[in-house]
Amino acid sequence: MISGASTSASASSGGGRSDDHSNGNPQAGQNRPLPKKESDLFKNVVKFYESKQYKKGLKNADAILKRFPNHGETLCMKGLIVNAMASALWGGEGAGNGGSGGGKEPVVDKKKEAVELVKRGLMMDMRSHVCWHVYGLLHRSSHNYAEAIKAYKQALRIDHDNLQILRDMGLLQIQMRDVAGFRETRLRILTLRPNSKVHWLTYAIALHIGGDPSSAASVLDSYMDTVSDDNINCDHNLNSIADFQRIFESSELALYKNMILSDMTTSNDNDKDGLKGIEKALNHLDAIHDIVVDKTGWLSARLSYQLHLGLFDSAEKTAIELFRRGSTEDHRIHGAYMCALLKCDGNTCREVLERSAGTCTLATLRPLSDEERAILINAYFGASTISASTSKTEDNEDSHITCNNNGISDSWGKSVTMLGGLASLFPMSVSIKRIRLTLLPPSSREFKLAIDTYCQQQIIKGVPSLGSDLSSLYLMEIRLKKPQCPSTSGSNNQEYIASEELTMTRYAVAKDPVDVKRNEVYRLLVHLVDSYIESLSCNNTFPDDVTAGELPHAPSTLLWAWYLRASLHEQAGEYSQGISLINKCIDHTPTAVDFYELKGRLLESGGDIQQAADVVDAGRDLDHQDRYINNQATKTLLRAGRIEEASRRISLFTRHEAPVEQNLYDMQCTWYELELADCLKMKGELGRSLRKYMAVIKHYEDFHEDQFDFHNYCIRKVTLRSYCKLLKFEDELWGLPHYCRAAEGVISIHLHLIDNISMSQTDEELDYSEMTPAQRKKAKNMARKKKNAMTSGGGGGDSSGGKDGVSSKNNSESNGNKKKSKPHIIDEDPEGKDLLALDHLQEAMKFAAILVRHAPKRISSWALQYDVSIRRCKMLLAMQALFKMKYIDSDDHRLFSRIVDFSKKMSSRINLGHDAPEQVISSEFPKLVNFLSLPDFVRMVVDRVKADSSSNLSKVIAVLRAMISTKVGSTAEASTLLLESQLNLRGLTLDTCREALALMKSIGSDKQNKDKMIELIISKFPFAKDL
Amino acid sequence: MRDLYVDFGMINADNVEQLRKINQSCFPLTYADSFYGDMAKNKDEKLCKFAYCNGFAVGAICARVEPMPDRPGRNRIYIMTLGVLAAYRDRGIGSKLVTSVLDHFESEKDGKMSNVDEIMLHVQTSNTDAMKFYGEKFGFERGELVENYYKRIDPPHCYILRKKLR
Repeated sequence: MISGASTSASASSGGGRSDDHSNGNPQAGQNRPLPKKESDLFKNVVKFYESKQYKKGLKNADAILKRFPNHGETLCMKGLIVNAMASALWGGEGAGNGGSGGGKEPVVDKKKEAVELVKRGLMMDMRSHVCWHVYGLLHRSSHNYAEAIKAYKQALRIDHDNLQILRDMGLLQIQMRDVAGFRETRLRILTLRPNSKVHWLTYAIALHIGGDPSSAASVLDSYMDTVSDDNINCDHNLNSIADFQRIFESSELALYKNMILSDMTTSNDNDKDGLKGIEKALNHLDAIHDIVVDKTGWLSARLSYQLHLGLFDSAEKTAIELFRRGSTEDHRIHGAYMCALLKCDGNTCREVLERSAGTCTLATLRPLSDEERAILINAYFGASTISASTSKTEDNEDSHITCNNNGISDSWGKSVTMLGGLASLFPMSVSIKRIRLTLLPPSSREFKLAIDTYCQQQIIKGVPSLGSDLSSLYLMEIRLKKPQCPSTSGSNNQEYIASEELTMTRYAVAKDPVDVKRNEVYRLLVHLVDSYIESLSCNNTFPDDVTAGELPHAPSTLLWAWYLRASLHEQAGEYSQGISLINKCIDHTPTAVDFYELKGRLLESGGDIQQAADVVDAGRDLDHQDRYINNQATKTLLRAGRIEEASRRISLFTRHEAPVEQNLYDMQCTWYELELADCLKMKGELGRSLRKYMAVIKHYEDFHEDQFDFHNYCIRKVTLRSYCKLLKFEDELWGLPHYCRAAEGVISIHLHLIDNISMSQTDEELDYSEMTPAQRKKAKNMARKKKNAMTSGGGGGDSSGGKDGVSSKNNSESNGNKKKSKPHIIDEDPEGKDLLALDHLQEAMKFAAILVRHAPKRISSWALQYDVSIRRCKMLLAMQALFKMKYIDSDDHRLFSRIVDFSKKMSSRINLGHDAPEQVISSEFPKLVNFLSLPDFVRMVVDRVKADSSSNLSKVIAVLRAMISTKVGSTAEASTLLLESQLNLRGLTLDTCREALALMKSIGSDKQNKDKMIELIISKFPFAKDL
Repeated sequence: MRDLYVDFGMINADNVEQLRKINQSCFPLTYADSFYGDMAKNKDEKLCKFAYCNGFAVGAICARVEPMPDRPGRNRIYIMTLGVLAAYRDRGIGSKLVTSVLDHFESEKDGKMSNVDEIMLHVQTSNTDAMKFYGEKFGFERGELVENYYKRIDPPHCYILRKKLR
């Protein structure tokens, strides 16, 4: 951007414009080359601007303006400098869009002055591309990219071939994902300067992301043709870093080309023609083998192509090659290897390759047949337990090394099984041992033996995460819609019938205590660990001890067995039993931080968050250097509503110069801000809560902004594959879970304010009606205290969050005046009053739109979209959201309660019947209620819930609420249904239980039933208070 | 029983609460906060240390060099506390802790500790285990009885155990 001003400036002063020669005309200065002296001064202005010597630049500009007060380009440059100084003063960009307030005023004024100057300059010299360029730069600095692009385009109309402006515009276009425009701009740049590598690469990328991989490939080809061969094929003399860099670049370029080729695949992959690109890419891999230095990347690509093409034998060999290179701990490769062994279809392969998280492989993706298990077990562990002699392994090693580089010796595939499987080839691999647990059928004797050995080893070692590691073995079968089914929206009103052909069986990990307790592996583990504890406390050995000879065990062995049992209790929701075991652990070794953490978790899930916070905090006190436990303590304290304590804890690990909140904001500490926002929301401090949610939103905007730096950098460094990944990541940014949580928080607060208008006007009066008496009491106390504090000391009762400078991004280094003491940052709106003053519906709508666009697979996105749409009286949009929800999960309680709501709203509206939306609604809505009347529909769901002994508590609550409101059933029936469930339901949390209790109260259940309910809740949540 | 493998680690302000936990679990009496405050400030990792077993602090020794009241200019090592969590006893941890302090003396015998003559401690009269431990393993000798040394525990009397170091 800086050198742009310089080139254009010199062009303008040298180029000379002949429109106006008269010096006497006051308008003259603008369009005419400056005299020599001033022209030199102008060059200096540009130079000083570039080197950030703003004061000197300003001085020079003023010198020109003294003689030519209306010289447009100088005015513009002055404006640009003033703007840069304002940004530096504030310490970052972004000051222009953050609202106004006390500490910011000088900056805002400066920014205004800058805009005035540039605008005036532009008016004086509308035909100068410099002016337009500066105008664009100004917009860019305030993140107004669309306007900036317009200004650049204007500048380019005057100076067609200005490279710098083209480059600046290209940057903005790719940032804004104006892919077509970007392609055009880069083509023009390439035409102007075809001798630069960067321009070729960028144009190829522009074509590639523009969805035209074949043109991209040919552009790369044309470029490579121009490069002499010795540039590519000389890995002999690596003398300098530059040589390494060059070799790396050719390697990356070749792999990028390969990636493009593989993208030349038509959408329908089952069609053989559709795989042509992949075939080409596979062949291309062989051609580039010698120049590629990222061998693992090369092999991974090869593996993936071979799988897609159904070349399973070669894929198998490639996988083994990868293992030999050291990828034995990568479960993704194991998944691919299994796919090759079992000759899986393309979609399964893709699923396996895309599911890269944790210990997932094919074996945890879907149930395996006995035959399939046998094949895999044979490949991994051999038919029998023949232990491989070391000499034999070494022989193979040699033969491998001598075999040529891309042909993997054929003996490999066979030798694996001969030697007793992968396990004997890679005896050190932990993953292979872990995979064994997923291959053996849980009911088999071998599985029991394997898991016994695995647990004993980990317990002896003392692995705190063993419980959660094992929990991923609790697999249960579920039916899913096949991915290739049209992912149609509700708007085309397809009835989704889960028929056999459209669904597939997949594994899901059981997480809910109801499912966990039923799980075979879980039951086995419970039995196993109980026997460990008995045997260890009796004679300090395991029942079938695998460590023969190494006895007796260290005292910590029994300790970790207890700990594992406590973890198992936690998974099954047995909090009291868990606590009594973890207390044993703490008595045994009171210095171990892990135990306090688990105890805290058990207390929290069991209903006593206050004590949980105390316990985790006590654990934290044991080791002040343990950042993890410090964060856990902070989090638990926040959940307990103890904001000030939490702030003190987290501040132990922040820098001490800045205020804590400011520092955490600068570090983009999202988890903390989300927890704090949740906590504030719970307390009814909606303004402050909103502010924290918005801080997270801002972080994500910053993440998006951050990609700016990479557009140039990645191409210069030729890290093109990573660059493509980055672009993809940035495109999916707004669908990431933390962003969704923040956006959902923002929407929920705005919706709450819409429904409780009085709140935003009066001094934050809380909605007490939705609270339980205890919460109400607490909230009222809080409100009273707050009021007192306000009247006595001007908000002095609130010291923790008082200084959070959310909109004040502190990016001092970039402005080079770090040493200067910054003006003390005063948050102009700690209470979030500005945010509360926004149009709630407008804001909620904005964020709901982002969510449904970027996180369309989250059912909550559509639930909120419904909530917003229904309040806007957009019935069609609301109904569409319902269909979307139904497509995601037709059984969800949020869907059910909204269908009921929608139906009621429909019937209460005056239906004119002839406008199109109304017609669509009346013809489509019946599909949501199974073509029944609302009462009949509710009755149907009530009966379904009754029949299902372990449905979801939230669902039961929603159903009962609807049952009462539609007068389908009686209070007695509702109470009976709740009590008869014994609360052996899914989705059981203390909060949902409280909700159930509140429902009973609101529908007027008698005291006896309520007491029974409380008793039930206590049996599930033994530490719950104030029910 | 097999001895446990033990690592030593220093006591400092960040982990002094672990010392409190060990002492609370090992001793019938409660040490004042000032004791832990001093320990947090102590810099001598040779005389005050944790014993770690499988990553957890399971025992600790706290000793100091102090002047001998009856021999001006001469010093002694005084063991303030030595404790090992119950579950980890009889596996050589206490011995290793005491040995490490004695080893430290040996290595500094003619250096920093050239004016140290003996090592001593107080032991409750009822604590025969401790007397046996120090006597049999390290050759400490039972010295005089100090009456009413402890305030809140019974019996309140203690013996002095000492070992001449030169």
